[in-house]
Amino acid sequence: MNEPILTYVTFLPLLGLIFILPIPQKSESGKNVIRGIAFLISIFTFWASLRIYGAFDASIAGFQLVEDHVWIGSYGIHYKLGIDGLSLWLVLLTTFITPLTILSTWRAIDKRVKEFQVSLLVLETAMLGTFMALDLFLFYVFWELMLIPMYLIIGVWGGERRIYAAIKFFLYTAVGSLLMLVCIIGLVYFHHNHSGHLTFDLLQLYGTPIPRNYEILFFAAFALAFAIKVPMFPFHTWLPDAHVEAPTAGSVILAGILLKMGTYGFFRFAMPLFPQGSDYFAPLIILLSVIGIIYGALVAMVQPDIKKLVAYSSVSHLGYCMLGLYVLTRQGVEGSVLQMINHGISTGALFLLVGIIYERRHTRLIKEYGGIARIVPVYSTIFLIVTLSSIGFPTTNGFIGEFLILLGAFKVNKLAAVLAATGVILGAVYMLWMVQRVFYGQVRNPKNLHLKDMNLREVAYMVPLLILIFWIGLYPNFFLSKMHASVDHFISQVKVEQVEKTSHVALAQSIREAALSASKAKE
Amino acid sequence: MNEINLSFDFYHLWEVCGGQLILIVAGLLLMIIDMLLLDKDAETRGKYIGWLTVFIFVATLGHMVYRQWDIHDIVFMGVFSADKFSVFISIVMVFSGFLAALMSMGYLRNNALMKGEYYILLIYAVAGAIGLVQSVDLLMMFITLEVMSLAVYALAAFIKESPFSQEGALKYFLLGSFGSAFFLFGVALIYGLTGSVNITSIALAISGGLYQSLPLLVGFAMILVGFFFKMAMVPFHMWTPDVYEGAPSVVTGFMATAVKAAAFGVCIKVLYVSFGPILANSGQPDFASTVSLSALAPYWKPVVWWLALLSMFFGNLIAVSQTNIKRMLAYSSIAHAGYMSLGILAANGDGRMGVLFYLFAYTLMNIGAFGVVYIIDGKERTAQNLEDYRGLGYKYPALGFLMGLFLVAMAGLPPTAGFVAKFYVFYAAIKEGYFLLAALGILTSVIGAYYYLRVIYMMYMKEEIKEVVRGPVAAPTVIALVITALGVLYLGILPEKLANIANVAQQGLSVIF
Repeated sequence: MNEPILTYVTFLPLLGLIFILPIPQKSESGKNVIRGIAFLISIFTFWASLRIYGAFDASIAGFQLVEDHVWIGSYGIHYKLGIDGLSLWLVLLTTFITPLTILSTWRAIDKRVKEFQVSLLVLETAMLGTFMALDLFLFYVFWELMLIPMYLIIGVWGGERRIYAAIKFFLYTAVGSLLMLVCIIGLVYFHHNHSGHLTFDLLQLYGTPIPRNYEILFFAAFALAFAIKVPMFPFHTWLPDAHVEAPTAGSVILAGILLKMGTYGFFRFAMPLFPQGSDYFAPLIILLSVIGIIYGALVAMVQPDIKKLVAYSSVSHLGYCMLGLYVLTRQGVEGSVLQMINHGISTGALFLLVGIIYERRHTRLIKEYGGIARIVPVYSTIFLIVTLSSIGFPTTNGFIGEFLILLGAFKVNKLAAVLAATGVILGAVYMLWMVQRVFYGQVRNPKNLHLKDMNLREVAYMVPLLILIFWIGLYPNFFLSKMHASVDHFISQVKVEQVEKTSHVALAQSIREAALSASKAKE
Repeated sequence: MNEINLSFDFYHLWEVCGGQLILIVAGLLLMIIDMLLLDKDAETRGKYIGWLTVFIFVATLGHMVYRQWDIHDIVFMGVFSADKFSVFISIVMVFSGFLAALMSMGYLRNNALMKGEYYILLIYAVAGAIGLVQSVDLLMMFITLEVMSLAVYALAAFIKESPFSQEGALKYFLLGSFGSAFFLFGVALIYGLTGSVNITSIALAISGGLYQSLPLLVGFAMILVGFFFKMAMVPFHMWTPDVYEGAPSVVTGFMATAVKAAAFGVCIKVLYVSFGPILANSGQPDFASTVSLSALAPYWKPVVWWLALLSMFFGNLIAVSQTNIKRMLAYSSIAHAGYMSLGILAANGDGRMGVLFYLFAYTLMNIGAFGVVYIIDGKERTAQNLEDYRGLGYKYPALGFLMGLFLVAMAGLPPTAGFVAKFYVFYAAIKEGYFLLAALGILTSVIGAYYYLRVIYMMYMKEEIKEVVRGPVAAPTVIALVITALGVLYLGILPEKLANIANVAQQGLSVIF
């Protein structure tokens, strides 16, 4: 493959800035031109990313379409991109969601349109780069590059407490990722000592022998960075603030893609790089995931604000993803990967829907609504479908993901699986209860009587999401088949140490037995 | 090797310290030209002298890059050396002077401060700084240190009407003299013990076991105190905020970069050459194998460890509570000194390379930031509070973007030079096993990110409350800002070229022997 298609896709959004920056945004038509160009660029990026899909070979477990150039040679830093069965879907999810968010902000963002679209496109490049980078240094650069545009999106175009939320988001993420940087250097240092070869190449760093204490320490630092991003239970407090204050587009990107960075980080970096550390922390992480599932659901139940409710549901859903990753069975991991995509679609769609109604009424409080199903039938129907997908109703995408995870978990850890399954029930409770209070019954609030239903633009960006919801729900194999090889490879990478450990135990046991028999023979 | 060549040879003098000579002679000429131009009005005079200064710095830069860089093994009369290490640092300082001169034209005009002395002092400050890093003789170090310092004291006091400028300069002068006295006393002790002020002779003299004697350690510590003072490391930083706040903004940018670069350069030189190679192979000091093994390392390493941590921690922490942007940047420069000292602590080639790279990157972003500060200020002290930056990102998009870029670079986020620089020094420290310090240090940079970002949110997320009118922007300042901004981005994306040069430069340190 000579054509650097991954580079094209990654930097296409950035290239778009050249067209956007010179356009004046004083007039309404200027703003529309900016929106239009941004939309076209993101569509073009999506089209280009479909070519990645076309070029992807599902039978290969390793990385594909790899591009490798020396970047900072004296430190062994390369510009190395590549994708496997996981990142393929996350890349497609990113390029798929971005144009939808641009469409959704057509009216909602009216101030500083140019700056907004620029931030969004820079963010897209950073996200795509993060998913494709195979060099730890490059990965870190993209990872940090996401911070500033997201900080601006929340802080400039957000709600009332936007600055508080933006700074909280920034600081939480920065603490984790800076410690990760120290550990990246530490890992490279150990690899250098071991092999005499200085490199930041992920593939070469896999399987670096590290003293056990350091491995645990390094895993902890990586896990902290990613757990904050996921977010896992005790580190989730930035998420509701960020979600509630962010504009709709920000929330969609945050929920749809940025949170996946955390689970992706576990899958790609933390777990395979430090299998022993991962093994050491596995019980804790499973525990925190289960707590996250139930806690997120319970807290979501009592939220008066629809957006906050959806935000807390994310904590619950991402708990499933982490649980799925950590049961280390094929079903569990594939379910987890699928759940990442599902969550991107369903929760992204929910945030879009909340944004639509917020644009009309400028409130997100559940008690302000009630019985609006007969006033906005199209909106209500779509909302109900997305809700069902979010709670894992059969024939929708959510069902497949959660089912696979629970299936995988049940094989390994029955207690965790049972507890996590209650999360499904709780999920149905809080979502359906919210739907009931918002859409059914009598219209109590006269302000809602003249609510406008969705217009064509809004339907246009919801339809692709609805199609995907049913596509994954009815024919998941289309998606799963691409990731079998990568997932198996991942499991073998992470489990390798455990096999060794057991073999050590077996060896020690046999030695002891031999010694015992020898001493017996002496007697 | 250590033979002192007492014959006076002008050609050698030119070879070794051509950069200094150009500056000194040009400074003298500029004084005359300034007098010849007295009948012209201040504006024209400023233009002439300013551009002449810029031209002088460019000429010096050219001489250093194309001539001095290649001659690296001559020690002139045992006083100055022209090794790649010194030349690299000199280039950083001349570059800093060049940017400062470009910005000064606009600054002096906006503040109606135009006087020829300003540029002459700037030139002599750089000449002194070059002399300082080129010295291989402790006494010459003291002299050049004073040349540099006196010029900078006068520059800091340049706004005669401003009590802040006067107060800061006086504080700087008194404390600076104190620091210099420490240095001089240390030199006296060392001279008494070793009978030499030449840093290589000292290295040989103390190799015999003298390094364990208490008076030598005291002298050594006193010399270091003199350097730490100029580097603005905690707890020798007390002067920094007042001086940085009171001094003319452009001078602050210059001080924070050139003076710091000089102090770091000479500190590294003394640490590694004079007090480094204690172990010797068959009577010959072996530089390469002894750098990190030197017997004095157990004495100074813990000290630098703590100073680095304290500087990073207090610099960043106190910066959070500042409301004046120049004061905030002053504390941030203390923190940056802490980061750079990680490279000294690592005491390996990577560390020295990291310091050199960091100094260059820091010069770009810091002078750039002060350039924006002075433009927004209009006239000194009219809009220096953080509150004055509200909404400026929309009012002046270009300035807002530049300020944002420089601050992001200082916060150490990719893809800027600040990130790569931090990466290099932290890499060097971790390579030597300083995990804890690296982890703590990097956490302090989260605090750093907080206050850098606060300026960004003032600029982009708050509405303007007090009307702030920026001063007129002069063309030379635009040139300087474009150079710094492009440099910050270029070094952030393609750092390797400069890193390789810096690496060659740090290896040049061994040539002094």
